[in-house]
Amino acid sequence: MILSHFIALLLFALIVSTVFALITKNEPREQFRYGVFVFLSFLAVAFAVGWIMYPVPL
Amino acid sequence: MAQVNDQEHFSTPPAPEELKPMNMAATLAICSGGWLVPGLAHVLIGRWVRGLIFATCVLLMFAFGLAMHGKLYDLEFDEPLHVFAFIANIGTGIPYWIAERLNLGIGTMTFPSYDYGTTYLWVCGLLNYLIVLDAFDIAQGRKP
Repeated sequence: MILSHFIALLLFALIVSTVFALITKNEPREQFRYGVFVFLSFLAVAFAVGWIMYPVPL
Repeated sequence: MAQVNDQEHFSTPPAPEELKPMNMAATLAICSGGWLVPGLAHVLIGRWVRGLIFATCVLLMFAFGLAMHGKLYDLEFDEPLHVFAFIANIGTGIPYWIAERLNLGIGTMTFPSYDYGTTYLWVCGLLNYLIVLDAFDIAQGRKP
């Protein structure tokens, strides 16, 4: 199975944020909000690091 | 009417749910079960929904890791740093040994998604360790 980098990142962020939200928060509403926050944070950091690395000749 | 309002304003908040810790032997047995079968610890404690979601997350990630030709590490003393990868991998429990027996985690380095697959396999094991620790806290009455 070949997934694009972005789809693999989305899937990874979705699963990890779900587990983190259920472990760290107790109320369903808090879990949902924290899960969304972690998910979006994963995406934001990935984009930021991607753009920072873009001009670096690796 | 005023009395009713006063009662509403000054009524004491509901008492927090009393947490009853299990004995340590039962807790360790439950945690061992949760390590071997992801999500089982929460199911045994009575948190069905949470356990099923955890099981789905870990097993889905494990399956994706294998499908992306990720590598499952064995215990190799020749390569000391591989021990950390092995510890992360065995966090998945029985699915790890099943995949090993079926020769599924060989890992194809030339495959485009090899790195992603290997990372998925590490992270699902590490997530399962966190899930087991969560079950331990619940069983010990430290968490609702």
